[in-house]
Amino acid sequence: MVFKDNREFIEALEKAGELVTIEQEVDWDLEAGAIVRKVCEEKAPSPLMNKIKDYPGHRYLGAPLTSHRKLALAMGLDPDSSIPEIAAEYLKRTNRSPVEPVLIEKEQAPCKENIIIGPEADLFSLPGPMVHDGDGGRYLCTWHFVVTKDPDNGDVNWGMYRQMVYDHKTMTGPLLPFSDGGKVFHGKYKPRGEAMPFATVIGPDPLSAVAASAPSPIPETKFTGMLMEQPVELVKCETVDLEVPAHAEIVIEGEILPDVSLEEGPFGEYTGYRTSPRDLRTVYRVKAITYRNDPITTISNMGVPTDEGQLLRSFTLGLEMDKLLRNQGIPITGVYMLPESTHHLVVVGVKAIYTNIATQIAQAVFGSKLGPWFHMVLVVDDKTDIYNVDEIIHALCTRCHPINGIHVYQGVGTPLYPFLSAAERKKSVGPKVLFDCTFPLDWDPFSEVPSLVSFKNVYPKEIQDKVLNNWEKYGFKPR
Amino acid sequence: MFHYDVFVNSLADLPEEKEVQLALRDLAAGTHKYCYKNVSALVSADQEKYEHKLQIRFGRGQVHEIPYSIKILNPVERIPERWL
Ligand SMILES: Cc1cc2nc3c(=O)[nH]c(=O)nc-3n(C[C@H](O)[C@H](O)[C@H](O)COP(=O)(O)O)c2cc1C
Repeated sequence: MVFKDNREFIEALEKAGELVTIEQEVDWDLEAGAIVRKVCEEKAPSPLMNKIKDYPGHRYLGAPLTSHRKLALAMGLDPDSSIPEIAAEYLKRTNRSPVEPVLIEKEQAPCKENIIIGPEADLFSLPGPMVHDGDGGRYLCTWHFVVTKDPDNGDVNWGMYRQMVYDHKTMTGPLLPFSDGGKVFHGKYKPRGEAMPFATVIGPDPLSAVAASAPSPIPETKFTGMLMEQPVELVKCETVDLEVPAHAEIVIEGEILPDVSLEEGPFGEYTGYRTSPRDLRTVYRVKAITYRNDPITTISNMGVPTDEGQLLRSFTLGLEMDKLLRNQGIPITGVYMLPESTHHLVVVGVKAIYTNIATQIAQAVFGSKLGPWFHMVLVVDDKTDIYNVDEIIHALCTRCHPINGIHVYQGVGTPLYPFLSAAERKKSVGPKVLFDCTFPLDWDPFSEVPSLVSFKNVYPKEIQDKVLNNWEKYGFKPR
Repeated sequence: MFHYDVFVNSLADLPEEKEVQLALRDLAAGTHKYCYKNVSALVSADQEKYEHKLQIRFGRGQVHEIPYSIKILNPVERIPERWL
């Protein structure tokens, strides 16, 4: 099952018991944000808010992808699929050939049901929520993406880069120079003094949003098709030479200005803090707004776990790392990034066939495009279940030598790391650490390597099977 | 009730009795609440001195307990003409 839009996904959430529909009026000024935040912290169903104060006809969907259940649904899987099952499906789909998008006519595109161009295109006509008390402004764009194009080779990028409403015609946001959109803007348009055309897509179908927030090198228009297993339908913009998903809820078109920056932030961030303070950031100037009838603005609320930033970014960062390490021929058994770590800690399982393999893994991933977003790598052997937090903590606390097993490196970081000093954040400094939780290969397996005492390790297979088969008969709850 | 608020790194960003350029947020209720206005203005730590009450926030959104007052002198356009 592929959802061509957000609305079909909402229906699937409802069927799976993952939606709460709120009919009473909700205030865009903090109340909606507070509901979504509580949903994240309680791991509750996604709220669909049908009546928004001051904005008749508009609706909100909050916390669309804050759990693996919701992610499984978005991928058309059984919501009860395990994390390894969802990961295997992601890897299967994204290891195939890219799927080209298709262009459809404007008349067939729901996002063109309402078209407002020029002076009438007013950002305050949309219900940008005040997400957290103390935010620098109304964050209309938190579950969305920004479409841009390379002026030289025409490569299209979709990136989820937050945007705050500044005034009727202006938004501001951090377009970080190491993001794909940021590289083209800061490296090409800005030095040439040219404005970069953009289109912001709010309320996309769920897999387009996953693609836009994933660190894959494949262009997102094709990557979305791989995830969907069918082409994504695009339609031409009204005022800029760009294409957007035809079934999106709201599209904002305009230009990113090369020669001015304005205040943005602070904003609650995926680390669970406001780390980067208010600052002068990139300016988006609006030319047109198009939207579906009864549009649904999507809201992600960054804060302590679990929000989309943590859940999805952990998922895609971990799995893109899995591909990268396998492409290098490193004999890993899997990669899992813990959402609870706010995508800072990644666990890599490996069949350690040569000494110092953990160092090779750490250096490969820290030095990659993915490197700025995380700083802790924990390498375990192939017997450890990388998805089992109990086993991971046990491995860390019993197999990692405090002097020989912990390696610290200097690397590239983001200004969002809470533990860095203000000066370090400005310089994109990013200290990294490897926890090597494998026993040294030169230890004698009989006289030196400790033997793990666990159910699956110290009982013969037939005893294990007997106990498992009789588990409920003994009187225990089903496993 | 505050009319405007402003984010500052420290109170030194708000010198009194001296014309300062500020990016204010309009706090009037309604759909335009939180719209930014760039202005030149006079501010005072005496909250009665000028007509409008000004709430102060620091870089990560923290509210300064003591409000100021503000007199707006002129609007300021910071976006270059060619993009307007
Ligand atoms: C909800 C959410 C908000 C995000 N906000 C930003 C942001 O403001 N700036 C940024 O550079 N990355 C942000 N990210 C991370 C980017 O989406 C991510 O790095 C993505 O891979 C960017 O695409 P790119 O690789 O094409 O640059 C956000 C991610 C999520 C899930």
